[in-house]
Amino acid sequence: MKTPNSAWLRLVAAARQAPTSGDDSAPFGFSTRVAALAMAVERPSMHAMVNRLSWRALGVALMLMVFSIAANYSAVTVVSESDQDPLDLVADVLTSS
Amino acid sequence: MSDDVDAAFDLVACLERVRASDQVAARELVEHLHPLVIRIVRAHLPRRVAEEDLAQEVFMKVFTRLGQFQGAVPFPHWVSRIAVTTCIDHLRAQKRRPEFRWADLSENEADVLDAVLTSENDVSANDALAARELVAKLLEQLKPDDRLVIQMLDLEQKTLIEISQLTGWSTTLIKVRAFRARRKLQKLFEQLQRKERS
Repeated sequence: MKTPNSAWLRLVAAARQAPTSGDDSAPFGFSTRVAALAMAVERPSMHAMVNRLSWRALGVALMLMVFSIAANYSAVTVVSESDQDPLDLVADVLTSS
Repeated sequence: MSDDVDAAFDLVACLERVRASDQVAARELVEHLHPLVIRIVRAHLPRRVAEEDLAQEVFMKVFTRLGQFQGAVPFPHWVSRIAVTTCIDHLRAQKRRPEFRWADLSENEADVLDAVLTSENDVSANDALAARELVAKLLEQLKPDDRLVIQMLDLEQKTLIEISQLTGWSTTLIKVRAFRARRKLQKLFEQLQRKERS
């Protein structure tokens, strides 16, 4: 009885004797199709990359703005309510005179 | 591909033209590299994936990443590495591996398996194709990374250094994966031997 390891080694040795399958050259039309596809894919230029990054940065900035407004909303409203009843020093001076 | 053809093909000039968006040069490059790419794709082809589709994906990656090629390694090595990593990505994407059952083997495959498990004689040359099919079925039982390593080591007889260059894995990791793969294959053969006896 063969040991499992030698069985595997004998099996792969036999498999290596098998002829390689098929023709290695590109099938008809393959290279033309791949070349056309490759050339059609726009390579990212530096300008396009800066453009895309700028839009992303703008998006992040807007998100941060919305977040900061939401986080500080209560503080802003308290201040604005207090602004509605300010100390009117000029009116006080005028009425007293 | 013969050395004459390799010598006649001016790879550096072709790459320059491809970088300048020359479609004819791109076609020539594909034709030049196709034998190299298709051999790797055929050796590591996942189930239910057409070899032509996978080869096309490899070439598209080559063209997309052409700007990253610095010439630190020979261009065919760089392309081989892209081909290997593309194949392994597809192998990893296969969630399930088919169960290996004696009943699913063809008559020739069963004879070959019987021969390697019980007989002292070598498998006859006529059964080489069946042996290769059987090896492919056994390799499908392994994890994709382990399968790739054992296939390159035992079937393609590549060295650890060559595998390391193709995959980017360290030689230690390759040895660990080869050990794991052989242990799994050993268990599989032991199961088959038990079934054979029963």
